[in-house]
Amino acid sequence: MLNKLTRWSRIKSPWILHLNSGACNACDIEIVAALTPRFDVERFGVLLKATPRHADVIIASGPVTRQIRDRIVRIYEQTPNPKFVIAVGACAMSGCVYRGAYNIMGGIDQVIPVDMYVPGCPARPDAIVDGVVKLLGKL
Amino acid sequence: MSDIEIVESLKRDLGARALEIANPDRRRIFLKVAPAELVGAVSLLRDKYDCAYLATVTGLDRGEAFELLYHFASPVACVSVRTEIPRTAPRVASICAVIPGAILYEREIQEMFGIAVEGIPDPRRLNLPDDWPDGQYPLRKDWKHVRPAEVIPGGKS
Amino acid sequence: MSFEIPIGPQHPALKEPISLRMTVDGEVITGVDIRLGYNHRGVEKLAEQKTWIQNIYLTERICGICSHSHATCYVQAVEKLMELLPPRRGLYIRYLVSELERVHSHLLWLGVAGHEAGFDSFFMYTWRDREIVMDLLEMISGNRVHYAINTIGGVRRDIDEGQKAKILEGVATLRKRSEYYFAIGANEPSFVARIAGVGMLSKEQAVSLCAVGPVARASGVARDVRKEDPYAVYDELDFELCTADSCDVLGRVVVRVKELLESYKMIEQMVRNLPDGDIAVKAPRKAKPGEAVSRYEAPRGENIHYVKSSGADKPERLKVRAPTLGNYPATIEMLKKGFIADIPLIFAAIDPCICCAERAVTLVDAANGAESIVRMSELRRRALARAKNAPVKGNAVWPF
Repeated sequence: MLNKLTRWSRIKSPWILHLNSGACNACDIEIVAALTPRFDVERFGVLLKATPRHADVIIASGPVTRQIRDRIVRIYEQTPNPKFVIAVGACAMSGCVYRGAYNIMGGIDQVIPVDMYVPGCPARPDAIVDGVVKLLGKL
Repeated sequence: MSDIEIVESLKRDLGARALEIANPDRRRIFLKVAPAELVGAVSLLRDKYDCAYLATVTGLDRGEAFELLYHFASPVACVSVRTEIPRTAPRVASICAVIPGAILYEREIQEMFGIAVEGIPDPRRLNLPDDWPDGQYPLRKDWKHVRPAEVIPGGKS
Repeated sequence: MSFEIPIGPQHPALKEPISLRMTVDGEVITGVDIRLGYNHRGVEKLAEQKTWIQNIYLTERICGICSHSHATCYVQAVEKLMELLPPRRGLYIRYLVSELERVHSHLLWLGVAGHEAGFDSFFMYTWRDREIVMDLLEMISGNRVHYAINTIGGVRRDIDEGQKAKILEGVATLRKRSEYYFAIGANEPSFVARIAGVGMLSKEQAVSLCAVGPVARASGVARDVRKEDPYAVYDELDFELCTADSCDVLGRVVVRVKELLESYKMIEQMVRNLPDGDIAVKAPRKAKPGEAVSRYEAPRGENIHYVKSSGADKPERLKVRAPTLGNYPATIEMLKKGFIADIPLIFAAIDPCICCAERAVTLVDAANGAESIVRMSELRRRALARAKNAPVKGNAVWPF
């Protein structure tokens, strides 16, 4: 099982763009913690990239604020196909505690199409790694 | 200085200009002045009471009037200066000449309550998005937000 | 310690959107403008529609790194309004979690500062040690972030003897490792030289621009809410106020390092002297009419909450001023007259709770008004290249 997983991961080796659409930063710290030696998502070949033009997977967190909505759409359009979006955290799924606020659109799926949802507030690094690997398995 | 000494000293320095002074809790002093006396009171606090540090400015919507609270902190007490301005004429003087660090807080009350801060060095919006319509002041009590309908991808709306 | 330290090509550390606009003249910055609002969620308006208890969870999520500081500051104000006195054991547990949060936040920041200064292995070391603290917090409260240990009137969960022993053990390990890193810092002249003299903020400017937290303390302003407005247990603990006089990024690193060591001391004192008794008192559903101002020393500076009640079960007004907002005027001042290449480091040095390594910075040429957008990562690369070729500043010394 592990061999099949690592083979898939080595073949795919997705490069990730991390997008924060107005979140409290907890999910983002957990995403970065997934890179640190304890959880270490880099052993799957996943690299954090800075620009949308190199990315395969967009990891998005946060409820979408009005100010950042256009930028998210633009970044999504700049990412070349095939691309996948992972929505991390309860905010990205539905807005979490901020539902009903005047500056919030709701979850990420109100703005761009989402392929995988990782729940949690914040989502644990193990859950994020699990979500990424499951997405790779679906490809 | 202890709280009681500060209250007494403020009463002496401001006299009739201090409309109300309260000391509800340890190290918490609330001082009320008229809007015209605001800059003078702030200067006095900065020079004589070691209150050069402004923590924040709170705006309150009380119905027929807006209330502004300027929270200062000295090493011995937290002095909050209160003024009331009528809703029909929401204007207050800027204290940025006395306390340069107040600029962001004054920008915030301008956009959230629609209070015109006269003499503010930088009148732009602080937090609200660029495409926010003019004339909408979110923190007023009569401003309600209507949530747009949500689209659930692949499911019932 | 047999970990492999992976050093990847890129680790954009914190990600939060903010837009900086700088006017430049060659390599020197002459004007700065910061555009906020990407993160504005309308929390103050939302708080008026939720009950007192629901607001604990709302205020917690204002920030992910210092979530406990917002929740505690709010709960302190509400307890004043409801005239509740939480039992001593509850208070000790609450502020024990506060100091653990300070440790995790400073370790996080040290990693980010190391990354910005080109010291990536330092980033990996500190974040690995941060996991010790995250485990302790998870053991105490059930979650790594957003602990929700507070309730109105005390805390929700108790700690037992086994957990106390684990906390002391964890802190002892951390202290040993922290002292090891600080010794590394002393022997790494390029690291110290990179950060000395950068981001100057004089004491007068820090006072007039109302700077808070380690940024102000690194400029010699000796203010700390735990000392001047001691809430709950801080007047019973023995700790020092940490300041530095160098007014630059090196001073800010030194202040946070000293605060880390003081926090370890405080955690040990609190665990050893934990009083017996209940952990919470029952809170009423409605609060009496009144207002309360609550201040708290978050890892980034002073956090202030103002709560007003009109006798209902929901607040009439909640006003929150997070510490990083208080540091923005000071940041603008620090960036002026600096070099473009130093922007990532200066910005990271204020420990912004809304810092994104992948912000775009707009540079406006002072001479002809031409605008160009540069990525932060590009600036960081330029800074590191420049630092490698520059002579090591001979008089920069690690003051320990």
